[in-house]
Amino acid sequence: MSKFSRRDVVKGGLTVASLSALPVGIPGLAWGATENEKIIAAAKGAGGGDLKGMIWSNYYVAMTPSMERFKQATGIGVGSIQDISIFVIPQRAMAEALSRSPEFDFFHVDSNMIPSLASAGLLEPLDGYMKKADFSIDAVGTYGNFMRYKGNTYGVPTDGNVHVQFTRKDLMENPDEQKRFEDKHGKKLAYPVTWEDDQQLMEFFHRPDQELWGSANLRNRANGVTWWYMYFYSAGGFPFDDDMNPTLDTPAGRYAVETYLNIKKVSHPEAPGWGTPQMIPRITTGKAFACQYWDGIIALNENPKKSKTAGKWHYSLAPGSKFSGKLIHRAISSPLGAILVNKYSKNKEKAAYMAMWWGSLKNSEEIVADRVNTFHDPWHTGHMTSDAVKTAYTPGGIAAIETSLKVASPPIYLTGYLEFQDQLAKNLSEAYVGQKKADRVLKDTEEAWAKIVKRIGKRRLKKELGSYKAVFPKVDVPT
Amino acid sequence: MAMSRARKKTVFEVGRYTILVIWLLIVAFPMFWVISTSFKPDHEWFAWPPVYWSQEPTLNNYLNVWTDYSEYEDTQYIKSLQKPWIALRNSLIISLTSTFLAVGFGAILAYGVSRYRILSETRMFQLLMLRMVPPIVVVAPLSLYYSTLGLLDTVIGLVIVYFLTTLPYAVWMTKSFIDEVPREVEQAAMILGASRWRTIWEVVLPLVRSGLVATFLFILILTWSEYLLALILSKTEVVTLPVELSKYEGSTEGRVYGRQAALAVGVTIPLVIIGVFIRKHLARGFSFGMVRR
Amino acid sequence: MATEAAAAIPGEIRAGKREMTQARAVRRFKWSVLSVFIALMVGVLGPVLFLQLYFSFHDFSIYLGSWWDAEFAGLEIFEEVVTDPRLGIAIVRSVLFAAGSTLGCFVIGFGLALLMYRPFRGQALFYIVFILPMLTVPIVIAYTGEMLLYQKGPLNDVLSWISGQDVNVIWLANARMALTTVMLLEIWNWVPFSFIIMIAGLASLPKEPQEAAQILGASKWRIFLEIQLPLLRPVIILAIILRFLEAMAEFPKAWSLFQGGPGSATETIPIYLYITTWQYFEVSKGAAMSYVVMMIMIAIVLAAIYFLRREKRALDEMYGAADEDRAG
Repeated sequence: MSKFSRRDVVKGGLTVASLSALPVGIPGLAWGATENEKIIAAAKGAGGGDLKGMIWSNYYVAMTPSMERFKQATGIGVGSIQDISIFVIPQRAMAEALSRSPEFDFFHVDSNMIPSLASAGLLEPLDGYMKKADFSIDAVGTYGNFMRYKGNTYGVPTDGNVHVQFTRKDLMENPDEQKRFEDKHGKKLAYPVTWEDDQQLMEFFHRPDQELWGSANLRNRANGVTWWYMYFYSAGGFPFDDDMNPTLDTPAGRYAVETYLNIKKVSHPEAPGWGTPQMIPRITTGKAFACQYWDGIIALNENPKKSKTAGKWHYSLAPGSKFSGKLIHRAISSPLGAILVNKYSKNKEKAAYMAMWWGSLKNSEEIVADRVNTFHDPWHTGHMTSDAVKTAYTPGGIAAIETSLKVASPPIYLTGYLEFQDQLAKNLSEAYVGQKKADRVLKDTEEAWAKIVKRIGKRRLKKELGSYKAVFPKVDVPT
Repeated sequence: MAMSRARKKTVFEVGRYTILVIWLLIVAFPMFWVISTSFKPDHEWFAWPPVYWSQEPTLNNYLNVWTDYSEYEDTQYIKSLQKPWIALRNSLIISLTSTFLAVGFGAILAYGVSRYRILSETRMFQLLMLRMVPPIVVVAPLSLYYSTLGLLDTVIGLVIVYFLTTLPYAVWMTKSFIDEVPREVEQAAMILGASRWRTIWEVVLPLVRSGLVATFLFILILTWSEYLLALILSKTEVVTLPVELSKYEGSTEGRVYGRQAALAVGVTIPLVIIGVFIRKHLARGFSFGMVRR
Repeated sequence: MATEAAAAIPGEIRAGKREMTQARAVRRFKWSVLSVFIALMVGVLGPVLFLQLYFSFHDFSIYLGSWWDAEFAGLEIFEEVVTDPRLGIAIVRSVLFAAGSTLGCFVIGFGLALLMYRPFRGQALFYIVFILPMLTVPIVIAYTGEMLLYQKGPLNDVLSWISGQDVNVIWLANARMALTTVMLLEIWNWVPFSFIIMIAGLASLPKEPQEAAQILGASKWRIFLEIQLPLLRPVIILAIILRFLEAMAEFPKAWSLFQGGPGSATETIPIYLYITTWQYFEVSKGAAMSYVVMMIMIAIVLAAIYFLRREKRALDEMYGAADEDRAG
């Protein structure tokens, strides 16, 4: 019922917005103005000009049509970009913070960098500008909290990255497989609810001689750690106590390490060296049975021009764990592309409106639904009911994304995110390739983390714990 | 029992060619692979068994990388926003300028050392240290210092560091050539009334031309392919080819090997052409004065 | 700018030439050249090293305010660096990598040079192809390596075909193999350097001692060991030292293929330094680490210089004596 009406509102909004391509230009628009009109009206007060941004072209291409429209309407556009990978931008943005450079107006970066970049003094809070344009981030569940830190909003999302469970439907629905599974395990073949189910299924379908590997989860040093958070959080773990002492070496932590390393049995021997560039082709060419993966790959999987497995996947919520006594699901969200504005920039107000423009329902719908440039994934409540987005992601895919977003969880949402994460990632990777004993992973990481906490300052980090916890979902099992 | 001389010779010749051909194949195989990949459509980039000769050779990779060819979008690829021509121009300007300066200045310095010992032997060896300290140890403060000077992301900024880091090689290599020019030639010119600078430019330098060319090429290789400094000291304006190349690191389809290869071929060809033309001069340049003739 | 300054001088020198004594002219020449160089060193390298020193002694954290307000920390940061086991392991790894790749380059380069320094049919073709790897950009080598070295990739395919067995080497994801993989790429890349130096050295060997030995009936092997090799020693030492030092600084291949992984198998000095400064933003620790690394490198360079000078002296003396003989 409510979905139906919301969709009508969206459609209505689109018509009005397309009419408003005519110059509107009335300051202080009357009641009933669309989201886009309000942003344009507010932006006109900021004056025109070209912005300079740090953004990866893989993201940026899909954002250029809407940027051109904004330029026509307000004179604010993007002049030049530093085109580097989203995994490199945190480092380069930090270098900008070190030199306090006004050069870049905005950064398109993993929003989990917000605490670090804000602490380094680089970020402009956007709440004031958002008020002027009467703009608010309308994201599914508590997803909007990923943009908030210590009471301020520092970013506008363009990309709703969250991990979704991918399972091969064609294999799961094969009657022979169902019978064999039942004979072997004495229970019906069903989509996984817990990590243990997931492991059992992957082991059952792990057939290297047929070019089918059980798991396509990443286990390289840079990305593997992303999966660990899901195991850890869903087992009820949280990495610090209230006094900022690391609490990794706990039952939940050890459970997570064990789950992390178990996958080795059903992974390709080259997995410890593979990142996304190597793994995605294996998913789309049908060489893997299951994985938790970034939701953007759904649009790729279901595009028959690019994928050999279109229509063969079942998408669902990533498994959870009953380790803590009750079932908890936690889907990781990292990296999460968002536009952040440079505090030292002279154009910060313009950049803020540009960010809002990209984050409005109408424009973000166009960006997210782009089938070729599949780097931006749905996040807005309106995307969940949008026909264009559903075409790209399939209704099943959208349903899985929506439930996953309701339990979306961050990595380390604290100042020093990359330092904390890489220490953990390195130790996990060392254990995975046999350079380190599994029981040393958490102890060594705790030691390294204690040093980082000392370096950044315990008191400072304690004040951030509230923002970190606020990013977590309030529900354990979304519906 | 003893093999005849002729037979021995044949055995040696066969052995020699076998070894040389094996190494030839080792050298050529990766190059063949890059060139072959640059003509492959996407489904052949990452195939098992590997595709050696493309079944459906295509120019799409080249067109997509080096032109604004838009038909590529029909195959559902992310449009390329890369600017290889601008990167090529930057690379040419930066590496040619810095190499020219390093070799020119290095030659003058080397002349002074060779003829008037304006640097002692100890200082000459200390000069080598400039090269031997890895750039990674200075790159962080350098970028901070450059940003305060406004030299970050400028051609001049990169030219200066490349000049300084390649100067030791320039001096050492050119000195070994100048050492070989007999002093009598210069003395004759000076007696005839030529000034010192004219003697250097018109008598000495032409005599060591082949050596200068070799030095020039070697330093050009170093600056053309330099990655770390170019990565950290550039932002949007002076992206060089190696940095540009590293941007093709991935997209949703996975690594875009074909396009990377098409760019790599373009990056490598200029140096290969120069190298082939001046190969004879190369051998002499590399002896650093440790070889006499 | 160097040439501009240099080009401005000839006129002046020419004008004042007659009044100046030879010694003054030389001095003037010396300083007009050196001043440009010194100005650049003082202007660029000076502040950089000073900043590095500042960071090494001040506990700077990017999250706690501007860098010029950082607190003085004395030797604390150096202490942290020196006792950091990760740095120690990185140094060992770098030395192993540099030694292995230098040895590989040298053995192959010298071997090829021995086979090729006398003219034979096809020499030019082989020569051109053999120098090509040096003309290739390291980043290209890294990405090509990636394409070739997958477990189900062309190299294993070719090796399987040659050996007739199923070769399944995991080049890119095995912690025991990864450093060797980078080493092999480094060797492929830089064999031409050793090759060219050695071929130049071999080609310039004087013929007379060899001929004399041959007449006396010495075997080829003995001529090589006892006459050619000693004469080549300076060139050999040069080829090894330069290659070793350059290999210590190798970054692009290791970084774009492995970023330190799998585990920490390829975390060499440059990689660990890069991660410390640009991933952990521990600018102070990175600076102190840089000084430690610089000291180590300078020690190695000084040792190298000692050897090089000794060889050069010996060479100068020998040729000096030979010249006198010829003159006499």
